[in-house]
Amino acid sequence: MSSLTLERQIRPIYDALDSGSHKSALVTCNKLLKKHPKNDHLKALKALALTRAQKFEEAIVLCEEVLATKPTDDGIINALMHALRHLGRFADLVKLFEDAFKQQPDNDEFGRQAFFANVRAGNWKAAQLLANKLNKQFRNDRYVFWGITCTFLQANDPLTAPEMRDILLKLAHRLITACWKQVEVHPDRLYLHTSILQQLGLYEDARELLGTESGRFFCARNLSCDHLRREIMKAGGWQMEEGGIAEQRIVEKRDRNWLEFVSILDATFLPSTLHQSNLPDLAQRVAKTRDLFLKVSEQDGSHDRTAQLALMELEKLSVVHEVPSEPSRLLNLLKHYFEVLGDKAACYEDLRSYIDLGSEELHDWITLIEKTTHTPSSGIALRRSINAHKLLRYVLSATQLTVDQEGIRATDLVREYFEALPLGKDLPKLELQPADDLAILAAQVYVNMFVLDNAMAHLHNAVVILEYASKKSPQSYQIHLELVRIYRLLGAPQLALDHYRLLNVKQVQNDTMSYFILSRATNFSLAASGDLAYVSECLESSHIYFSNSQETSEFIVKSFNMEKYSQIHELVVFEERLDNSLQRDLVKIEHVRLRISHEPVSSELVDMELIELKFIFDRLHHDNRDLEVLPNYQPRGQPSFLSQTTLFGKEPAGGWLSIFLKIYIKVLSGASDLDLSVEDDKLLVGDRPRQSYNPDAKKPLMERLAVQSADELSELTEDEVALFHYVTDLTNWLDPFHNFLRPRGEATKLPPKNGHSSHDGASADGHGRKPDDAPHISEPPDSILSYFKNAYAKFTRAVTASRPIYEILHIATLAQEALLLFSICTKRFKDASIVRIHKLGMLVQHIKTLRASAIDAVRDIGTQLIKISELEGTSDKRKQFVENCIALQTHAEITHEYVLDVGKKLTESQRKVMEGVGRGIERVCKTPM
Amino acid sequence: MSIIRPFRADDLFRFNNINLNIWTETYGLGFYFNYLSRWPDMCCAAQHPNGRLMGYVLGKAEGSPHDFHGHVTALSVAPEYRRLSLARILMNFLETASDDVYGGLFVDLYVRCTNSIAIDLYEGLGYSVYRRVREYYGSLGLGPGGKDEEDAFDMRKPMSKDMYRRSVRPNGRDVIVSAHDVS
Repeated sequence: MSSLTLERQIRPIYDALDSGSHKSALVTCNKLLKKHPKNDHLKALKALALTRAQKFEEAIVLCEEVLATKPTDDGIINALMHALRHLGRFADLVKLFEDAFKQQPDNDEFGRQAFFANVRAGNWKAAQLLANKLNKQFRNDRYVFWGITCTFLQANDPLTAPEMRDILLKLAHRLITACWKQVEVHPDRLYLHTSILQQLGLYEDARELLGTESGRFFCARNLSCDHLRREIMKAGGWQMEEGGIAEQRIVEKRDRNWLEFVSILDATFLPSTLHQSNLPDLAQRVAKTRDLFLKVSEQDGSHDRTAQLALMELEKLSVVHEVPSEPSRLLNLLKHYFEVLGDKAACYEDLRSYIDLGSEELHDWITLIEKTTHTPSSGIALRRSINAHKLLRYVLSATQLTVDQEGIRATDLVREYFEALPLGKDLPKLELQPADDLAILAAQVYVNMFVLDNAMAHLHNAVVILEYASKKSPQSYQIHLELVRIYRLLGAPQLALDHYRLLNVKQVQNDTMSYFILSRATNFSLAASGDLAYVSECLESSHIYFSNSQETSEFIVKSFNMEKYSQIHELVVFEERLDNSLQRDLVKIEHVRLRISHEPVSSELVDMELIELKFIFDRLHHDNRDLEVLPNYQPRGQPSFLSQTTLFGKEPAGGWLSIFLKIYIKVLSGASDLDLSVEDDKLLVGDRPRQSYNPDAKKPLMERLAVQSADELSELTEDEVALFHYVTDLTNWLDPFHNFLRPRGEATKLPPKNGHSSHDGASADGHGRKPDDAPHISEPPDSILSYFKNAYAKFTRAVTASRPIYEILHIATLAQEALLLFSICTKRFKDASIVRIHKLGMLVQHIKTLRASAIDAVRDIGTQLIKISELEGTSDKRKQFVENCIALQTHAEITHEYVLDVGKKLTESQRKVMEGVGRGIERVCKTPM
Repeated sequence: MSIIRPFRADDLFRFNNINLNIWTETYGLGFYFNYLSRWPDMCCAAQHPNGRLMGYVLGKAEGSPHDFHGHVTALSVAPEYRRLSLARILMNFLETASDDVYGGLFVDLYVRCTNSIAIDLYEGLGYSVYRRVREYYGSLGLGPGGKDEEDAFDMRKPMSKDMYRRSVRPNGRDVIVSAHDVS
C-alpha cells in the first residue's frame, strides 16, 4: 500500500480525535494496525486515543514503544507530544524532543520544542543550555533572553543551593550586560534586566538603566516596570527623589495612586534622618507634607478620598516616629472623613486602622458617630447608618459585650434591616440589596452572643434572619458564607452544603474557598451510609490541581514565546503554590478518610493512597486559603467572626495535616506490601511530582513518622489526639509482624504469582523467612482497647450533657475511623495459611478479641446516634426553635410559618446527619473485616 | 486610597470578593494566563492598602491593521468598593495603554443590553453604542429581560489616533449584527 493511501486512511483518526470520538479513533487505529503492525504513526495516534479514553496504562506502553524509536516525523512527534502531555510525562517529552533535535540539529522547531519541554518540566539548567545552543545555531536575540531568563529562574528556584544562587545571578547579569547594547529593548527585557540587578543589590546600576531614555519611556507606560522602579528607588535609599517625583505626579498629573502618597510619606520619614538631632528637620518635613495633602484633599473634596487618608496615615506615622502633634488632629481627620465620605461602603475598612485614639478623643469620636440617624430614608442615609453601626461596634469595650447589651444591638439591627428593605424593592432580583449589611451585622452579633453564653438559640436567630436576607438578596456571597459557618456549628451539614453550592465556586476558587465546607468533612459525611455528597465535593474541588499541572506550564512556555519575561517567574511561583497547596492535601486526607468508610479496602487502594500520601508528606505546603473573604465586624480585641465559627476553635492547617498523614502512612504502610524505602514509579501515570523545597524531607521517613511536635498536636482536638496515640500504639504493636510478613527485595515490586519460591528450599514462604524468625507475640497495649472504651464513655457523656451535635458526631466518626483503621492494619492476618505457617495464632486471637470489643463499642455509639436522631426533627424541637426566635416574629415579615419552616429544615438536617452517621456506623460494624 | 498595580497571577488566589457575584465569571486558569502571557500591560488591579483586592480590568489589543484597537474583556469592582470611581480609574488605565502603547484606534467592550447601570457608566466615560450584537450572551437563554438580556451592545470610544472619530457612529443602537459577525 502506498504511503499516500495510508495517509488517506489515517485522516479519519484525526477527525475522530478532533470531534472527541475516542472510541471510533481507537477502532480505526486497531484496524489499520492489523495491516501495519509496525507503523509508529498509528501507534502514536492509538496512544493519544487511549489517553483521551482514560486508558492510561495501555497508552504508556505504546508511548514508550514509539519513544524508543526516537522519531523525527512531524506526525508521530505531534501525536506523541499530545499523548505525553495528557499523561503528565514531561520527562518523556524532554527525551522526545531532545532526541529529535540531536538527530536533526538544523531543525530549529525541534530545538525550540526541546527547550519548551524542559521549561514545562522546570529543568532550568537544561533549558538554559538549549537556549545557548539555539542561539549559536540560529542567531536570534530571543534565544539569548530565554537563556538569561532560565538562569534567573534557576537562581530563584528553591531547590538551588544558596551558594549557587549568587553565581547564577552574576552569570545572568554578565550575559544581559554583554548583549544589552546590541538588542532591541522592550519593556519585558528591561524588566528582566532590572530584576537581575535588583536581586544582586546593584541598585545604582538599576537606577541608571531605568534613567535612560528608553527606561523612562517604558516606566511611564508600563506598570510592571514602574513598580520595579519604585522598589529600586526605595531599596537604594532614594526616597527623597522618589518623593519629589510622586509630588509632581499628584499635583501636575492628578495621579491618585496610593503608592504616590506612600512615596511622599517614605520621603518624609526617611530612616537616615530620624535621629533625635534631626527632629526639627523631620517636624518641618511632616508639616510640609501635611500642607500638600491638605491642599489636595481640599481640591478633591468627596470625589477622591486618597489625600484624606494620607493625612491620617501621616498622623499615625508621626506618633510612631514621636513627632509632636496635636492629639485632636487625627480625631478631626476621622470626623471630617466620616462627614464627607461616610456614605461610601468602604468607609469602615478605610477608617478602621486609624481609630487608635486616646480616651478623650475616643469619647468624642463615639459621640459623633452616635449622632448618626438610623432612619433609612435614602441609599446614602442607609450606607451612612451601616457605617456608623460598624464603627461603633469596632470600639466596643469588653464590658459592653454582655448578652443583654448585644441582644439590644441585634434587635436594633434587625429592625433597621426591615425598615431599610423597601429601598431596594425595585432592584432586579440579581442585584444586592442595600440593606444586606444590616442582616450580616446582626448575624455577627448573634454569633457573639452564642460565644458568650453557648446558647444555640442565638444561632437560631442568626439563621432565621440570614435565611430571610438570602431570599431577598440571593447573590450575596457574604450571607451564604455566614450561613455555611453557622449551619456547621448547628450540625446541619446538608444546609451548609446547599448554601455553599449556591455560590457556584469554581476553578481556582476551589483551592481558596473549599475549606468552608471540606474542613473536617469527615465529621459530617454520610459516606459510610452511601451518601457521597461530600466525597464528590472533595473530588470536584480537586480538579483544579490537574488543570494547573496541565495548563500553567503551557502559559509559561507561551510567555517565553511572547517574550513576556515579567510574567514568567510569577507563573512559575503560581504553579508551585497551587501544586503544593495546603488545602489540596487537607482535602486529599479527608477524601481518604471518607473513602475507607464506603469502599472495600483493596490492596490496590492501600498501595495507591500510600504512595500519594508519601509524596504529600514530602511537600512544603503553601496556604492559599482565602481567610479574608468573609468580613469581620466583631469589636477590636475580640476573636473574629471566622474564628468564632470555627469548629472546636481549631482550623486544620499544616500541623493537623502532618499528624493525619502520619496516621494514614503508618496504617497503610503496615497493610501494604510496598517497601517504604522503595518508590514504585510503575504505579504513577505521570511524572513523579516535582519535589518542593522541604528541608525536613531529607530525613528518613521512619524517623519523621515517629516524631510529632506540640505545635502540630495543638491543631488537633482532644479526640483527634487520642486517635493519633491509638494508631501509634496499634502500629507499633503490629509493625514487627507486618515487616516480617511483607514480601522482600524484588518481590516488593512484583508480588509472587504462586506465593512460593523456586530457588530457596529452606524458605517457608518464598521470601527467605523461617517460621521461627517470627517476632515474639506480645499482648496488645491496653491503650488500644481503652481507646474504644473511652470513646464510648465520652460519647455517652456528650449525649447526656446535650453537647452540640458537631461534637457528638466528632466522637462518633472518629471512633468509626479508629475501627476502620484497625481493620486495615489487621487485614494481613486474615490469611489462614500465613497464620498457620508462621504460628501467629496467638496474635490472631488477640486481634479477634480486640476487634469484637471495638465493634461492640462502636456499634453501641451508632445505635445510640440513631436513637437520639429520632428526638431531632420532631414537633417539640421545631416548637423550641420557634420559641427561641420569638423576638424576631415581632416583624411582620418574619411570620410564624416562616420561622417554623426554617426550624423544620434545620432540625430535619440535624436528624438526617445523626441518623445517617449512625446507620453508616452500623454498616461498618456489620461489614466483614 | 487604592493601589493601582499590575494584575498578577497570584491575584487569582485573592479575587473571591470581586468574583463571587453573578456578573463576574471565574474562568479557567488558561483564560487569565492567556491575557498575562500576551497583554500583561493591559491587565491591572486595584488594591486596598490593607491588602484586599478591590477590582481589576483585563484587556487586550487586537484587530487588523486598519482597525487595530484595545478591547476590555473583563472589568469588575467588588461591591464594597463601589462608588469610589475605581471603574473609571481602571478604564482610564486600559485606554492609556491602548492609545500610548498599542496605538489603537479605539477601545471597545461588550455589555448586556439590560445592564443600564454599566451602559450609563460607559457613556459617561465617552463610549457610545457602535452596534447591537444579537444573542451574544445566548448561552444563558432568555431571562426576564427578553432579548435585551441575551443581546449585547458593542460600545466604542475613539482614541487619539482616530482624529475624525471614524470608529464610532451616532445611530449604533439601530445597527444590528449577529454574534457570528463579531467573533
